[in-house]
Amino acid sequence: MRLLRKPLLLHGQLDYAGPGKLGKRVDAPYRETTTIADGTVEVMREGRATKHFDLQHAPELQALLTGFSALLGGDAATLQQFYTIDFVEKDATWTLTLTPRAPDLLRHLRALIVMGKASEPRCFTLQQADGDSSTMLLGALAAAALPPAPTPAAIAALCTQP
Amino acid sequence: MTNARRHALILLWWLALLAAAVGLQQRLVVSGDLREFMPPPTNAEQNLLLDAIGAGPASRLLLLAIGGAPPEQLAALSDGLVRALRADAHFERALNGGGAIDALDPQLLPYRYLLSTTLDEHALDAAYLHEELQQRVEDLGSPAAEMLKDLLPRDPTLETLKLAQRWTPRHAPLLRDGVWFSPRHEALLLAQTRAAGFDPRAQAQAVATLQTAFAALPNAAGAQLTISGPGYIGVQVGATTRGEAERLSAFGAAGFVVLLLLAYRSVGVLALVALPLLSGALAGAAAIALLFGSMHGITLAFGFTLLGVAQEYPLRVFSHRRRDADVQTSVREVWPLLRLAIVSACIAYLAFLASGVAGLQQLAVFTISGLLVAGAATRRLLPPLLAPTFRDVADSAWLEQLRARIERVRRPRWLPWLLFALALVGLWLAPTPLWQNDLAALTPASPALLAREGELSAALGAPDVRYLLVLEAPTADGVLAAAERISPQVDKWISAGAVDDVELPSRWLPSVATQRARQARLPDRATLAAALDAALAQTDFQPGLFTPFLDDVETARHLPALTPEQFARTPFGARLQAMLVRRDGRWLGLATLSGVHDAAALKLDANSNAHVLDLKVASEALVAAYRTRILFALAAALVLLALSVAVAFRDWRRAWHVIAPMSLATLLAFAVLRAGGISLSLFHLVALTLAAGLGLHYALFFERPVADRAEARRTLHATLVCAGSALLVFGLLSTSALPVLRAIGLTVALGVLFHFCLSIQMARPR
Repeated sequence: MRLLRKPLLLHGQLDYAGPGKLGKRVDAPYRETTTIADGTVEVMREGRATKHFDLQHAPELQALLTGFSALLGGDAATLQQFYTIDFVEKDATWTLTLTPRAPDLLRHLRALIVMGKASEPRCFTLQQADGDSSTMLLGALAAAALPPAPTPAAIAALCTQP
Repeated sequence: MTNARRHALILLWWLALLAAAVGLQQRLVVSGDLREFMPPPTNAEQNLLLDAIGAGPASRLLLLAIGGAPPEQLAALSDGLVRALRADAHFERALNGGGAIDALDPQLLPYRYLLSTTLDEHALDAAYLHEELQQRVEDLGSPAAEMLKDLLPRDPTLETLKLAQRWTPRHAPLLRDGVWFSPRHEALLLAQTRAAGFDPRAQAQAVATLQTAFAALPNAAGAQLTISGPGYIGVQVGATTRGEAERLSAFGAAGFVVLLLLAYRSVGVLALVALPLLSGALAGAAAIALLFGSMHGITLAFGFTLLGVAQEYPLRVFSHRRRDADVQTSVREVWPLLRLAIVSACIAYLAFLASGVAGLQQLAVFTISGLLVAGAATRRLLPPLLAPTFRDVADSAWLEQLRARIERVRRPRWLPWLLFALALVGLWLAPTPLWQNDLAALTPASPALLAREGELSAALGAPDVRYLLVLEAPTADGVLAAAERISPQVDKWISAGAVDDVELPSRWLPSVATQRARQARLPDRATLAAALDAALAQTDFQPGLFTPFLDDVETARHLPALTPEQFARTPFGARLQAMLVRRDGRWLGLATLSGVHDAAALKLDANSNAHVLDLKVASEALVAAYRTRILFALAAALVLLALSVAVAFRDWRRAWHVIAPMSLATLLAFAVLRAGGISLSLFHLVALTLAAGLGLHYALFFERPVADRAEARRTLHATLVCAGSALLVFGLLSTSALPVLRAIGLTVALGVLFHFCLSIQMARPR
């Protein structure tokens, strides 16, 4: 279902600080800092009270985090445990598709797709179960100019351009 | 009578008793409901207390944990068990954490604006809507987006989620695979029984049903179901106590058989010795079935204990048979004394009938009819069935030696007075409180059971069984309003850490006045549409997306306020319904507390129509009141007993010789218990009464003038067998680790010892 007239474009930074520790900072169009550490999620939004909640109350988020940590930490065994892995290479670019094994997670998340070129990951896409998706542009692409209303196809093309 | 005929008649008697027992088992309902054994409530508070003790929501909760399998399997088992329990008549509700958010009836969705507290603080104007919509954009950029998408068009301010949060217990367990899980990776469930928590029989049925339902689930093999909660612990403690009592009684019975064989050198007496007592017990139970229909389990236990005196009747008949007379003659000679003991005991128990407590009245009916039938059976049915050949117990040489030795025992007149003084000193020096008011302390649960309950209760955030917040008002809506008034105070308790959570009825449903006030703040459609347009101006939301929101608010403006009756039909309705109780034309609200850390801090204004009830303190006060009645009944019984003995003797001096040792021995047993640091309970009182009944026999028979030394030997023999068997059976009980069995065993054994010695000292004619 489309709630918004155009895709939501967020600019910010993602920090990976070791297993179980993840920081996400959104700079625009609003400011928000999310920190996951020691099993607690902390959401700080400008001008509002900081929200805390236990990571265990959000098992889907926890599974996502585990997958994410394994991916960034290069822990193939853990990754295998939580996801089925599909790797496709085309020319110099590649697409890594991670499909959750847990039925609970699968209800919300269809797949986690990482696209890149050579040793450089470029895009990180979360495909939701209802067809919506969100893509994070990494590294050099983060500064790339996007059309005002980018389509998923346009973003995929951007991620896999040689 | 031929031997064959005699044997046939004995067999017939046994069969008749068996048939009566089977018939009674079908007719007589033995209830475990503690309330039947309490004094009738005299005020609304006690009335409520009696309800709350057994029927309060907290006492009917069973806490369940399923472990020993992978999480997905546990979650499936949890769902399966909840479905099975919801379909079972033993259970009122079963929860496992599943299906919480969409539980609000779609029909009632517009009511969210009247139920949620949002409108108390904000108006649905452009500024608030803009602020909320901005947050929704941010939510759409977060991992929570997926969950919110379906909800947004209808509910952009997320009132549904606020309600779901409000209705989730503050300390709810973690959700995993859609069901509650403990930190120890067990699936957690709550099941509320229909039966009262302190009805062990009904609780045992519920527990058995639960276990069957679990075992019947597919892939239940390998997983373990742990059950805890007040009702389950009651069942376990009852089973342990019964098991221990049966084990010790079996030893006692074996010892009794050996004693009988030694005393009478005859196997035949074994077939006869139990018949009068069993006949009496069945007659007592039949009388209860006729007069009351049902009987409390405690009445049955106390009644059997008190009826224990009847075990002496056949022993007296056996010991007093003599070679030079037929059995009818020898029975006729001891019968006047037995009859006197029976009649005076029956007259004494009449005092219980006047007590006004159903349990005590049942006890009186059971004991009186039991004693009368056991006596009549001993007098009329037993003698013809005795074997014609027997050994006259007066023949044994050691008995004569013992008799002569007892004859020579010095009996200084000052000794009873010295013992009396010592008893008073013992009572004076007693180191502990006189009474043990906590009935549960007598049947303690094992530390492992309690630890497991504490752990599950904390993991589930289960309500405290001991405390209850009671609200009172003329109407159900008044109760809700009273709950709203104390809500700020309750929040202070929670933030001060005095209590983890208080579930007020107003958490589920606000009062009509509050709903109306919120309704009045809802803007009309045109105003809201304009405010929404203004708020949407700077966002990327699709135009027209929030039409369902406009529709719902418009609907909410014209809704009649939601009443408890309407709310009762929603999935959460049962919860509220259990909290609102109509009594004597008024309404009570029962709010449960969980995690009480500082009970003293839980104070409310006197004019708030609400107070925190400590069920333990209140029920102890009730037990104390009840015990006072028993004490008065016992005192009256003792006076009646003395009077009937005196009237029967028509001689105060002889009556004094019987009454004095009995009273002093009772006092001594009491004093020794107290000096040993034992606080007394109902069980001690009943045991003291039984011992006094036995002591009456010893004194009566020692006091009886006898024609010759042979008869004196028979009296001594009978009393030795009687006292010896009582000491054996109750002495064994006193070795139990369970306080309730030790209380009865120790008290009776001590009493019998003192009664025997003092009867020798004081009852015999000088």
